[in-house]
Amino acid sequence: MSAAKRVQQWATFARTWHVFDCKWQDPYESAHVIKKYLMGLHKPIYHPMNDCGDVVVCINSKDIALRGNEWRKRAYFHHTGYPGGASWTLAWELHNKDPTMIIKKAVYRSMTGNLQRRHTMQRLFIYPEDKVPEDVMQNVTNQIRQIRLVPTRLDHIPEEEVKNFPKIMDYPEDYVLK
Amino acid sequence: MVFLSIVNYVRARGPDEIWRKRRIFKLAAHYIGRRRNCYSVAVRNVHRALVYATKARKLKKEDMKELWDTRITSACEQHNITRFSLKEGLERANIALDRKSLSDLACWEPRTFECLAAVAKQKLELDGFVDGVDKKHPTGVNLNLKDVMLDAWLKERKN
Amino acid sequence: MSAKNLFLPAAFVRAPLQNGVGRYVCQLQRITFKFCKSHGGSRGLRDFIEQNLVEFAKENPGVVVYMKPRRHRSPVIVGEYLNGDRVWMSVHNKTHDEITKWVEVMRTQQGDVSSSRLRKYQYTDHPSIQGPWTPFTFKIPELNTAQLPDPKFGANNRLPQSATEELRLMFEKQKLNVKEEELKVAE
Repeated sequence: MSAAKRVQQWATFARTWHVFDCKWQDPYESAHVIKKYLMGLHKPIYHPMNDCGDVVVCINSKDIALRGNEWRKRAYFHHTGYPGGASWTLAWELHNKDPTMIIKKAVYRSMTGNLQRRHTMQRLFIYPEDKVPEDVMQNVTNQIRQIRLVPTRLDHIPEEEVKNFPKIMDYPEDYVLK
Repeated sequence: MVFLSIVNYVRARGPDEIWRKRRIFKLAAHYIGRRRNCYSVAVRNVHRALVYATKARKLKKEDMKELWDTRITSACEQHNITRFSLKEGLERANIALDRKSLSDLACWEPRTFECLAAVAKQKLELDGFVDGVDKKHPTGVNLNLKDVMLDAWLKERKN
Repeated sequence: MSAKNLFLPAAFVRAPLQNGVGRYVCQLQRITFKFCKSHGGSRGLRDFIEQNLVEFAKENPGVVVYMKPRRHRSPVIVGEYLNGDRVWMSVHNKTHDEITKWVEVMRTQQGDVSSSRLRKYQYTDHPSIQGPWTPFTFKIPELNTAQLPDPKFGANNRLPQSATEELRLMFEKQKLNVKEEELKVAE
């Protein structure tokens, strides 16, 4: 293989590092996006047997948003293997224990269960906040677009802008908010 | 051999059985252990393998189709177009490329694929297939399609 | 014993060192004719030796021709090639015409081609004109200097316009109209 061809090979199979901001994102929806990058499904050279998956760094995983009442209703099952060893952990409990766990499990479950899955998961880094070790962050060259728009909190918007925002009507003074 | 009496004809049992077994053993030659050495085990495995081979002829085609679709989808994503609209646009523009050629182009000749995506999109816009023109995410911004394509040909409606 | 020699080895259609492009190097180096002087099975090969062999050797000075008479053995042609391949072929009971054709095949082939399975019927050293796809082919140049994570690259920019945004735009438009009217009034 000539030198030029060898470089071409390296370039084609170069591993890109992506960053994904989990803030206000549904972990189960985002898992399908993250999975695509982890497995290399976003490349036209994809083949299940070639190693073209990328690395994804998820940040702000403690700020994920579950829909509806899923924080209270979704349960994560675990069995120790002993009789009576079954346990069900609610999503909010799991999130309190480890804020990276929900997104990790969501990504893991979005992939089909084959021998490659655990190796693919090794390329996923999850950080609860936006503090990422320097040696990880320096590799990142791309950002994955979020699925949902991150809303801005009303008290974070400057007061002047709030005042100038067009209103259809004003609430009457004796109006009681429920 | 000519059999003059029926008695001799009955006694002729055809070729030796090693020829029958040899056919099976040849197919089992690459197996391991008793699967290649014992006829009764080998024949079971060979029959199973042949059944698999028969089914796999169809599965291979389906697998390849799926793989090409995956590749085309990923290539389309880079050019802000979906696989469905690419297919629809190319069909309307009378560009008859199958999945294999499209995925090969996406991988080996990425600029050609970009042009194809742009052509498909423009054709869909001219046909009015997509109502809202996606100004925000255009395909083939730096391509001058008018240089390579005749406007009349693009505008020609498919019957 | 492994199953390696049970199946034909896979290969691509290739010419060694672009043979035939510009110049041609005969890949056949040695050819040995083994035959019997009296047996009928060697009849065709004996005819070939009598009538064509001298001419063959003259036309192909690069090929060493050996002959090996042996009593009551079937006739055989063995060719040895530049890449080390050795092709053995029985020509028992073959006619003069057939042998002439087979010798031509031995002379023009580039090795033991019949003992390899072609993966594809076409091959190219340069599969791509524009260069194969790489992750950098359609990359946005702005990302090179961006400080990630950046909401500019991370926010979803494919969402439809929200009602709030539409309302705000309507309001802005209205304000412009008001201004124009004011301007008109001023005139």
